[in-house]
Amino acid sequence: MKKKINIKGLLVIVATFILLGISLFPYYYMMIQSLTPWKQVDKVIVPGSFTLKSYNYLLGSGASAGMWIKSLINSFLVSLPTAIISVVVGLLVGYSVTKMRNFKGGKFIMNTLLFQMFFPLIILLVPRYMIVKPLINTYAGMILPLSVSAWGIFMYINYIKTLPNEIFEAARIDGASELKILSKIIFPATKSVTTIVFLSTFMARWSELMWDMLISPKVDMQTLNVLISTQFKPMGNVPGPMYAASVILTIPIIIMFLCFSKHFKEGINFMLK
Amino acid sequence: MKEKIDNLKNKGGFLGWIFNLPYIAYSLIFFLIPLIWAIWLSTTDWNLMSNDKNFVGLDNFIRLFDDPRIIAAFINSFRYLLPIVILTFIGGLIIGLLVHKLPDKIKGVTAVLFFIPYLTSGVAVSVVVRYFFSYNSALNVLLRGKGIAIEWFSNPKTSFAIIVAIVVWKMSGYYALFILSALESISDEIHDACKIDGAFGMNKFIHVTLPMIIPTLTTVVVLLSGLAFGLFTEPYLLTGGGPNLVTTTWQLEIYNTSFTNFQSGYGAAIAIASAVQIFITIKIVTHVMGKLNHKYGV
Repeated sequence: MKKKINIKGLLVIVATFILLGISLFPYYYMMIQSLTPWKQVDKVIVPGSFTLKSYNYLLGSGASAGMWIKSLINSFLVSLPTAIISVVVGLLVGYSVTKMRNFKGGKFIMNTLLFQMFFPLIILLVPRYMIVKPLINTYAGMILPLSVSAWGIFMYINYIKTLPNEIFEAARIDGASELKILSKIIFPATKSVTTIVFLSTFMARWSELMWDMLISPKVDMQTLNVLISTQFKPMGNVPGPMYAASVILTIPIIIMFLCFSKHFKEGINFMLK
Repeated sequence: MKEKIDNLKNKGGFLGWIFNLPYIAYSLIFFLIPLIWAIWLSTTDWNLMSNDKNFVGLDNFIRLFDDPRIIAAFINSFRYLLPIVILTFIGGLIIGLLVHKLPDKIKGVTAVLFFIPYLTSGVAVSVVVRYFFSYNSALNVLLRGKGIAIEWFSNPKTSFAIIVAIVVWKMSGYYALFILSALESISDEIHDACKIDGAFGMNKFIHVTLPMIIPTLTTVVVLLSGLAFGLFTEPYLLTGGGPNLVTTTWQLEIYNTSFTNFQSGYGAAIAIASAVQIFITIKIVTHVMGKLNHKYGV
């Protein structure tokens, strides 16, 4: 009997490895090609030697290095505030809707949220562009329209709802102001929700294409994501740097998720319930 | 009077509205106003630049029905929907099941590893795919050596398949997490009962496991349906909607119409039409899954 179980377990592990290999092959390919001598790029799966020429082109001495470095900075400058705003707004709305006594707007806010969560945003694209047009090529124009995540607020509401009321009553009796409650009680208690909302909104903003293409036609305002997309065809004959750029685009997100994976997992478990 | 206000503040009524101010302001500026504007815009022939906006009533909407690009987007939304939902569903299910059966020590790590494709920007994926399938790439040289010459992006079938494959690859790990969570929540008592009753393997899977996770599967299917309607980056970068409109999507057509062709009034109408179609389709999908849940669910 024991032997039977081991074979099944082994099969599971083998199958897992095969599927993992397929899943992660594009990353292997991306990384390898970014380090491959330019003559061999895409011609071999395992290069004869390695070179940093592609990265040098983007970040070092290449003539266009400034452009690529700026775009990486832009990606951070846009994604970070977006994630922070989503978290802050989520906390504010989440707390006020669920736990603040005498706040009568709860139902109205919930209905607005639900409507926004299921609404096809593409309809709003052209008007939003027109509204934000005065802010074209500015960070504000890039950040503001996509800064609030209705889904994120919804997550906060659902989570804070489950926190026991006694803590808040006790705090209020002790004379704590609402802001203090937010910072000293709510914020620490919602770490897993904050993690998942922060990471998700950061990642979504980082990978955004359509809006950034519209609102930042000027090259030195473009995010790395947009820059790669515009250099897609022009650099068609020199793919090495494109691979390197893709690696640079992908790595921060993966690192962030791996760093916070514990909190993230808690968040996911909660979300699925 | 001051006392009254202080009391109000302390009781959270007034302060509550202050806390919601950012969200309300945001909803007003970036949601409500654009929504109304979009409806008005769809009845004009505006081109995003000039000062004359002529009211054309429902002309834009009538035009939709004869526009081959729109018809293509409409048909493609279903052509994408089916394989994406089915294949991602199966992929997520297989990954979920596999990870579920892994030893606990490596379960977490493996789940995260399968999740990684979800984190990748569509642009990065498109770069890899574009060059991997390029004419002189290792893959094509190998294939041509065997007498197989495929024009990956000029061939309607392969270009469509590539985009579907990208989406399935990206989303399987993400939805596997949903399914994994559902599988893990099946209590040990059920497993024990199955052992006692002699239910195992395929039999157990079909008659016990599957019905117990139908609500999660419903969520996955509905979310996937929404996703299929939102395709933009990959068709935009890899195929431009072609060849022959075979890979185009609503989002791509709306973008091109509004901003590349400067017909933003018409573009707004297309957007509204697509929203109606999404709404109806999701309603149908939810209804069907609800029926399945009712019949087979636990």
